[in-house]
Amino acid sequence: MTALAELDLPFLEMERPEFGVDPLKHFAEARAKHPWLAASNYGYVVHEFTAIRDLFPQDDKLHPPYAAVVEMFGTKGTPWGRFTSEQMISLPPEEHKLLRHTFAAKFTPRFANQLRPAMRATIERLLDEHAGTGRMDFAEFASWYPISNMFDLVGADRARIAGIRDDLETLGLAFSLDKALIPALQTAIVQIDALVAETIEERRADPNGSEKQDLLTLLVDTADQGRINARQLTDLIMFFFIAGYDTTKNVLTYTMYELLKYPEIYARCAEDHAYCADVVEEALRVFNPGSVARVTSEEVTYRDVTFPPDTMLYFTFNISGRDPDAFVDAERFDPDREIDRDHRHVAFGLGKHMCLGQYIARAQLQEAIHAIARRMKQPRLDGEIVWRPYPGSWGLKTLPFAFEPVAG
Amino acid sequence: MVTVTFIEADGARFDVACAEGGSLMEAARAADIRGILADCGGNCACGTCRVFVDENWLGALAPIAELEAATLEMRDEPGPNERLSCQLPVTAAMDGMVVRLPKRQF
Repeated sequence: MTALAELDLPFLEMERPEFGVDPLKHFAEARAKHPWLAASNYGYVVHEFTAIRDLFPQDDKLHPPYAAVVEMFGTKGTPWGRFTSEQMISLPPEEHKLLRHTFAAKFTPRFANQLRPAMRATIERLLDEHAGTGRMDFAEFASWYPISNMFDLVGADRARIAGIRDDLETLGLAFSLDKALIPALQTAIVQIDALVAETIEERRADPNGSEKQDLLTLLVDTADQGRINARQLTDLIMFFFIAGYDTTKNVLTYTMYELLKYPEIYARCAEDHAYCADVVEEALRVFNPGSVARVTSEEVTYRDVTFPPDTMLYFTFNISGRDPDAFVDAERFDPDREIDRDHRHVAFGLGKHMCLGQYIARAQLQEAIHAIARRMKQPRLDGEIVWRPYPGSWGLKTLPFAFEPVAG
Repeated sequence: MVTVTFIEADGARFDVACAEGGSLMEAARAADIRGILADCGGNCACGTCRVFVDENWLGALAPIAELEAATLEMRDEPGPNERLSCQLPVTAAMDGMVVRLPKRQF
């Protein structure tokens, strides 16, 4: 066994803006020095696909880091600090289990499939509004899609979409751990809290509210039946907004960027709705926004390395699907790629905290890619792309795009 | 112990000794059955431990619950007698049961 302090690990400067432009280059250099582990200012970075699959699901030995992040940010007792340390993933095991079990039935594939007609209507409306000129910043366009879906799913006032979108953009940068963001994070979380609380209050006050069979009614009814309190219900819907925005937007944007290199695949997406689901799975392998941290609850030994308790581990889900030791020809985008236990992306995490919204996310992406491929022909890059910071929620900040528009 | 036969999509057969009281998924993972992913660790959340149960053994299984049925409604057409192995507690009545695995879990 080797103690951490004795290891000569590569150091990844993930906070530097240029790191987000080409993280794969930096991870390849790190891999040459140590096959699966690196050091960073965010903790120890576990970047090998197999190491992530082996270590991350050990829920009995690892716990989410949010209390430590709130402490580090000095935000205990503030609105952002309260939300971050009380959200479902941060709760003690028994409370987490009750809350998750209560709401799980509303996030199944069956439920996601029931939402597809609304998703199709949303993407078609957005294409009508934004795709007429044949030019756009696709990242900006993509940002309207998940938030419009989420507003419709809970019956929130569409007039507030633009303001809340800005708040979600801010919150998406939270885990870049830039302390200068703290005042903006507080404002953003207060505004989202107010929107969700008011939307729930309006629904409860509406005499016909229970007849609206949308996600909000289902969650309110489920909370009431499961004796979930008002704060927990509000937090869950806030989390639904926060977790569902940046992720879907960034995956959709990156998928379009990738498909620019594969016009035959893109053309088939317009014709073959089922194939779009394969494209989504492959897209989630080559890119997903998340890097997720965990803290060791006890001493953990993996291969020849021993981590003491309270060690911060940073799992780079987002580049794990590009690991050349795990995937043959990892850079090639191939929706027909064989998927088995050892070659399956981990975009939605692993273990008991696995993403509750994964089926809604998949359905949104599949519906969007199919509709976009039908309405935006011959897409091509139309300017310089800009990358977001790597830590937290990585992806393309801008994707200038030109195409031949097709009327709906 | 109870013996359950897993048949992988490529036809490979594995007789797995399963401890009563645990789930069929746990037994498959312990035996390193490649077609069982179980990404969520048995929380009925990921749908990656699907098995197709041989017709003759359906009566030996616990009835399907609402959450499991809703989780099975993924993009693929449901296969015959499809279940999530994490939701199947191993019982003595399952001794000799045969299950088949899909080509891909998602």
